[in-house]
Amino acid sequence: MDFALLRDAFWGLTFDGLALGAIYALISLGYTLVYGVLRLINFAHSEVFMIGTFSALVASGIMGVKIEDDPRTGWGMVFTLLICLIAAMLASGITAVLVEIIAYRRLRQRGATKLATLISAIGVSISLVELFRIITDSLPREFPRIMDKTFLFSYAGADIRNDKVIVIIAAGLMMFALERFITKSRYGKGIRAVSMDESTSTLMGVNINKVITVTFLAGGMMAGAAAFFYILVYENTSFKVGFFLGISAFTAAVLGGIGNLKGALFGGFVLGILETYTSAVFGTAWKAVISFLILVLVLLIKPTGLFGESIQQARV
Amino acid sequence: MKKIISAIATVALVVGTAVAVAPAANAACSGKLKIAYQGPLTGPEAALGINELNGVKFALKKFLAANKGANVDPTVYEVDDQGDPAVAGPIAPKVAAEECVVALVGPAYSGASKVSLPVYLSAGLSIITPSATNPTLPSFGKEIFHRAVLTDDYQGPAAARLIVSKNKNAKVFLVNDASDYAVGLQKTVDITLAGRVVGKDVTPTGTTDFTATIAKIKKSKATAVFYSGYFSQAAVFVKQLRDSGSKITFASGDGTLDDQFIKLARKAAEGALLTAPAIPMETASPKLAAEMVKAGWKPGVYTTESYDAANFFLDAIKAGNTTRASINKYVSTKSHKGLSKTLKFDAEGEVSGADVNGFIVKNGKLVLLGAIK
Repeated sequence: MDFALLRDAFWGLTFDGLALGAIYALISLGYTLVYGVLRLINFAHSEVFMIGTFSALVASGIMGVKIEDDPRTGWGMVFTLLICLIAAMLASGITAVLVEIIAYRRLRQRGATKLATLISAIGVSISLVELFRIITDSLPREFPRIMDKTFLFSYAGADIRNDKVIVIIAAGLMMFALERFITKSRYGKGIRAVSMDESTSTLMGVNINKVITVTFLAGGMMAGAAAFFYILVYENTSFKVGFFLGISAFTAAVLGGIGNLKGALFGGFVLGILETYTSAVFGTAWKAVISFLILVLVLLIKPTGLFGESIQQARV
Repeated sequence: MKKIISAIATVALVVGTAVAVAPAANAACSGKLKIAYQGPLTGPEAALGINELNGVKFALKKFLAANKGANVDPTVYEVDDQGDPAVAGPIAPKVAAEECVVALVGPAYSGASKVSLPVYLSAGLSIITPSATNPTLPSFGKEIFHRAVLTDDYQGPAAARLIVSKNKNAKVFLVNDASDYAVGLQKTVDITLAGRVVGKDVTPTGTTDFTATIAKIKKSKATAVFYSGYFSQAAVFVKQLRDSGSKITFASGDGTLDDQFIKLARKAAEGALLTAPAIPMETASPKLAAEMVKAGWKPGVYTTESYDAANFFLDAIKAGNTTRASINKYVSTKSHKGLSKTLKFDAEGEVSGADVNGFIVKNGKLVLLGAIK
C-alpha cells in the first residue's frame, strides 16, 4: 500500500480521475435514461459506444487525416475534431435507435417478460462485438493524433494536459445540455412522464414509441460523445473496447442511483477518481477489486444508489 | 473474474477430455500426413501467430517442391487459439483427435501451452514451440514438448544486461500484464537487476488507463521501465508514458517485439529496447527472406524459429517416420541444422547453443543490436 503516492500526487491523480470519470459519466447517462423510461438495462449500450469510436476513426480518415501526419493546428484542427465528434454522436445515436427498434420494440409491444428483453439485449451486444471482430481482423486500431498534447500549466505537482481539460469541460457541457433537454423540451417532458407512469402518459396522449426512440437517441449520442473523447485521449480502439468501459459506466449509473441523471454524472466522476486512487494506493491490479467492494458497500447501505432511483424522483 | 472462472473451467475441461481422446494416439492416418500450427491467428496478438504460420507454410512449400512424392498435405493444419488459454483449452482435444495431424509447431504462447500440453501428451502428439518461453513448460509434458528458443530464464537476465549496458546507473521500474509469460519473464529480470529495481506494478490485460502506474514511475525516480507483456497493450502504455512527459528508457521482451508495436505506438516507440531469443529471417538468411517475400509471406519475429521447427518435423517424415510416436522419437533424439541454430533437444525438450538478441526501435524500424553478452 502506497498512501504516500496518493498524498504526493494527489492533484495529478484527481485530475486524471476526473477525465476518466467524465467518460464514464457520459456513457452511464445512456444506461440511466433507458432504465428510467423502460426499467430495462440496455446491455447493448457498450457496443453503441464501441461503434462511436470506430465512427470517429472513419470520420478522421474521410477528413484526410493520416496516421503519420503531424497534429493539425488552428481552425483546421477544431473543424476536424468537431466532424469526428459529430460523426461519433450520430453513429452511436442511430445505432442505439436501431437496437431499440430491432431488439426491444416488438418484444415490448407483445408484452414479453423483462428477461426475454434482457437476453435480446445481450444477443445484440454479442453480435455487434463479433461483427466488429471480423471487420477489424481482431486487431486494435489506432486513432491519429489530430490535436497535439501539451501541458497547459502545473498545479501542486499536477501537470494539466489540454486533451483532458477538453474532455472534462465538454462532458460537463454535454450533460448540461441533456439536462436542459429533459427538463425544458416537449420530448423531455414526455420522457419524464413515461418514466413516471407509462400507461397514464399514453392515455394523456404521449406517443410512447416516439418518446422511447428519443430516449435511445439521446443516450446513444452521449455514448458517441464519450467514444470521441475516449479516442481523443487514449488514441486506440478495438472491438472489445466497450466491455470494460461499459461495465464501469453501468457501475457508475448504479452507484449514483440508476434512472437518475444527476446520479449517473456523479457516479461517473466518483468511480473515475476512485479507480485512479485505488490503482495508486493498492496497485493497478487491485483497481477493480477495491472499486467494486466499495460499490457493494454503498449498495448495502443505500440500495437505491447515492441519489435515489428514477428520473422523476430526482427531478433532475 | 470472468477470465479466471473460465480458465478454471477450461483446465477442468481439458483434463476431462484428455482422457477421452487418448486412443487417438494409436489410430492410424489413412490420408496424407498433416503438420499443424497453433498460435493466435485472430485476436489482438494475431500478428505474431501469422509470422510463425508463414514460417511453417514456407518450410512446407520448400519441402514439397524438393520431395514431390512425399505423403504430406500441402496445407498447414491451422489451430487458432488467439493466444488465450481459455480458447486453447477446448480446441486442443479436437487437434489431438485429428488422426492425420502427426506434428505440431506451437503453441505460440506459454499460457495456451500450459492447457494444451497435457492433451497432446496423452495423445502422443509431438510439439516444437517456436516462442513459448515460460521456463515451467516441460513439467506439463516433457515427453512430447520441445522448444526451439531459450527460455525466459535466459531472456530476462539478457534484458536486464541490455538495459544496464545502455544506461549505466539504471534504476528500473517493472510493469507486467499478469499473464503467465509476463510474470515469469519479469521474475528473472527482477532477480538479475536486484538492487536496481525501484518499484513494480501489475496492469492486467485489458487495462487502458495507466495514469496511476505512470504516477508511481515518476515518484520512484526510475530511469528505465521494463514492461513485461504483449505488444498491443505495451503500445498503449508507452504512448501514455511519453504523453505524460516522461523520457525514461522503455524496455520490453519478445512479446513486444513486433512491427504492430511500432505501428500502434508510432513516435512513442522510438528508442524502445527490446529483446528476443529469436533471430530475424533477414539476418539469418537474406536469400531465404527475399524468397519468402516473393512467395507472398512477410517474415517477422519468430518466423525463422518456426521455419526451423517445421523443417525438423519434415526431416523426420522424410526419414520414413509416419506415426506420432516415431516422429516424436526422431525429434527427441536426432538433431537438425536450422537457420537460427542447430536444434538438439535435451531430456526436458530444451535447446542449447542459442543467443538472446537485443533490438532498438530507430526511425520507425526494428534494428538488430546483436547478441546480448
